[in-house]
Amino acid sequence: MIKYIGRRLIHLVGIMIAVSFLTFLLMYLSPGDAAMKKLNAQGVSVSEEIIEKTRESMGLNRPFLVQYGDWALRALQGDLGNSYKDGFPVADKLARGLRYTTILAFTSLALALAVALPLSILTALKKDSLLDNITRLFSFIGNSLPNFLISVLLMYFLCVKAHLLPLTANESVKGLVMPCLALSIPICGRFIRQFRAEILEQLSRPYVSGAMLRGVKQRYILKNVLHNSAISILTIVGLSIGTLMGGSVVVETIFRWPGLGKLAMDAITNRDYPVIQGFVLFTSTVYVLINLLIDIAYSWIDPRLRETGGGS
Amino acid sequence: MKSRKLFALLLALCMIAALAACGQKAEPAPAAAPEGSTGTQSTGTESEPPAEPRYLKMAVNFAYPSLDAHKDYYGWYTQIYGVTETLFRIDADMSVKPLLAKSSDVSEDGLTWTFELADAYFSNGNPVTADMVARNFRRLVEVNERYDDWAAFTFEAKDEKTLTITTPDVFPTMLVALTDPEFAIMDLDATADFDNAPIATGPFVIKSFKPEGDVEVVRSDSYWNGDVRLDGATLFYMPDAESKLLAMQAGEIDCYTSVDAAAKEIYEADPSSYNLTVIPGTRMQFYVLNKTRLSDNVCAAVNLTVDCEAIAAYLKGTTSAAVGPFVASAPYGQVTKPAPDPAAARALLEADGYVLNADGYYEKDGKVLEITICHYKSRQLPDLAVLMQEQLKNVGIKATLVVQEDPDAGYVATGDYDIALYCMIADTGGDPYYCVDALYRESGKWAKAGFPTDETEALINKLQFETDIDQRAALANQIVQMSIDENAFGYVGLFNKVSVARPGVTGFSENIPFDFYGLTADTDIA
Repeated sequence: MIKYIGRRLIHLVGIMIAVSFLTFLLMYLSPGDAAMKKLNAQGVSVSEEIIEKTRESMGLNRPFLVQYGDWALRALQGDLGNSYKDGFPVADKLARGLRYTTILAFTSLALALAVALPLSILTALKKDSLLDNITRLFSFIGNSLPNFLISVLLMYFLCVKAHLLPLTANESVKGLVMPCLALSIPICGRFIRQFRAEILEQLSRPYVSGAMLRGVKQRYILKNVLHNSAISILTIVGLSIGTLMGGSVVVETIFRWPGLGKLAMDAITNRDYPVIQGFVLFTSTVYVLINLLIDIAYSWIDPRLRETGGGS
Repeated sequence: MKSRKLFALLLALCMIAALAACGQKAEPAPAAAPEGSTGTQSTGTESEPPAEPRYLKMAVNFAYPSLDAHKDYYGWYTQIYGVTETLFRIDADMSVKPLLAKSSDVSEDGLTWTFELADAYFSNGNPVTADMVARNFRRLVEVNERYDDWAAFTFEAKDEKTLTITTPDVFPTMLVALTDPEFAIMDLDATADFDNAPIATGPFVIKSFKPEGDVEVVRSDSYWNGDVRLDGATLFYMPDAESKLLAMQAGEIDCYTSVDAAAKEIYEADPSSYNLTVIPGTRMQFYVLNKTRLSDNVCAAVNLTVDCEAIAAYLKGTTSAAVGPFVASAPYGQVTKPAPDPAAARALLEADGYVLNADGYYEKDGKVLEITICHYKSRQLPDLAVLMQEQLKNVGIKATLVVQEDPDAGYVATGDYDIALYCMIADTGGDPYYCVDALYRESGKWAKAGFPTDETEALINKLQFETDIDQRAALANQIVQMSIDENAFGYVGLFNKVSVARPGVTGFSENIPFDFYGLTADTDIA
């Protein structure tokens, strides 16, 4: 297992180099640059001479490989550089965004799991019942609604109509409730449908029919069913963590939540290469590490997988 | 059993948290001061309840990581927050008025400007001296790339209150330039943290500042220029239009500017709850006709087809139909253009040899007259592109829309367009030169479209150094009129500055067309 983890961590280095190189290349090839974006930010025209001078001072006129190499060398030494837009350290910006994104991601995930797990078990056990049909309908609606619509509906009903929550309370516990709900609702809808399908799949297996014929108590059967569903459930949850940790631009913008999604979006708009590169390094690391953790969890759940090298 | 207890405990905690969150209703009281506000205390007697603190809550569209007014565009926001001030400011009538300066004078050769400073003080009580102003200007030139041109200027303190600026060439727009918010005067000696707590001369001082987030300001007790009506204000960073509308409806904010069309309709329907102010702004939507690719008649036909009034009506009052780049009330906004005339447009095309085909489009030699309209997704330009496409289709011109993310690096730079849509600030402060210089220069970014001529260039050079205000207006009118007569440009709309406030909220610069003014000493809430 240790060898396996080591191998995966070595792969991570390769992935980070490839992803950062490709991102840098794509940003380099796309029209516009940080100097132009910075100087024209408010719709004020600036002379070409000043733009050129700024470009020169920011090092944007250097060849692509020199720019990338310079960034990569400094990144290897732990220096992600400063933002082209405002000159502030990228690491500080990422750390701040990460803090808020982590809080939002994990509370949303916890809420979605707290609702989806029991409901999916219940609906699978009571397939085609009224509860099942209602839950499926709501999970379908929740999964189909776009984030911005859920956000606006939540704001309208909870803030404007009921005055239950303040709209202006960002970065606080109160400010967390609505973005958390806005992110959880679609995740919850997806989880319920996917978990239910997986549990139903397990319930249709011969070992369940055999156990029932032998008169094994339902709770023991359910325990086994859940254990056997765990790998699929874990995979679904793991993928969601990866997505959530990348931040959500729409929800963060609407609810003024200063997470990574908005940071990345602003950086892309402003061609702020150091921030984009920092973000890409971070998200690729998160994806790889989460996948690794899930693989380790697979082997823990199903020891047979250890023999075949640790899962997926 | 253990896990059941744990589950029960977690459930109980969740319920308590939910109840706590639900129990505290958000009061839509606009005048409520925030916790720990250092606003002025009431001096009333025991029998009289203390006066309600006057506390304003305003939404703003941008937030920056620093309050250093000299850097980037941060000065726009320190001025909106009422923290920084400049030597001169622009009034609602677009005239330049002295603020930290008392008077100004220019030498006969036009190269030396002399300014007498007002008896102004920083919020810490230190006086504003000529030496401090000169050092502020030098610092601005040093830290802000956009003012590189000013490196050739000399800033000198003649005495405590007299400052001179010497320029290598005549610089008639000096006073207008000094209204730029970046020319804010800060106490460079006393300010320890320019990013978070600059000491300046405005009616408010920073109470709390979250980089790229909300800002709280409180009244400066030692403000030099009269009484400050508000005790303080919170400026919420709300980039999303829906959030601002809902926050206004929920009573959580008292005012904001840049109201969009959808929200404007809602506010208009309830005039007893919302005061809406609509004034022509300084951002202009326009298009450039590429005269190197389109014939004179086609350019003229396009201009006769585009109906700016109809477009403004469709955009529901967020823009006003434009004749030229400047508001018609400005002395340099005195230009004319022909009214839309589709029949005349068709006649011009037919005179050019085009005939109408079975599909309703003009064609010549079997080739349909097809033009590309390049635009980008900002400032309602996609709407404008579609509306123009429809209007052109109605006279028989087929228009193809091309959208690019970055126009400056794309179609503007390459000149690869028939019609290029664009939006820019046309009037930066009561003078036409900035816009004329940006649009019509032979070395400018629109020169690839083939308009600039030796005549326009000569007129622009004359305007650059002309010191007489009336002459400047006349020259600007002449140059803009040429761009209209030559059918090189089409000026579609001037964005209106649309502001909304609760009844009783006044003076948040809702009547000044520029984006960089906000709180002042006169801002008030009833």
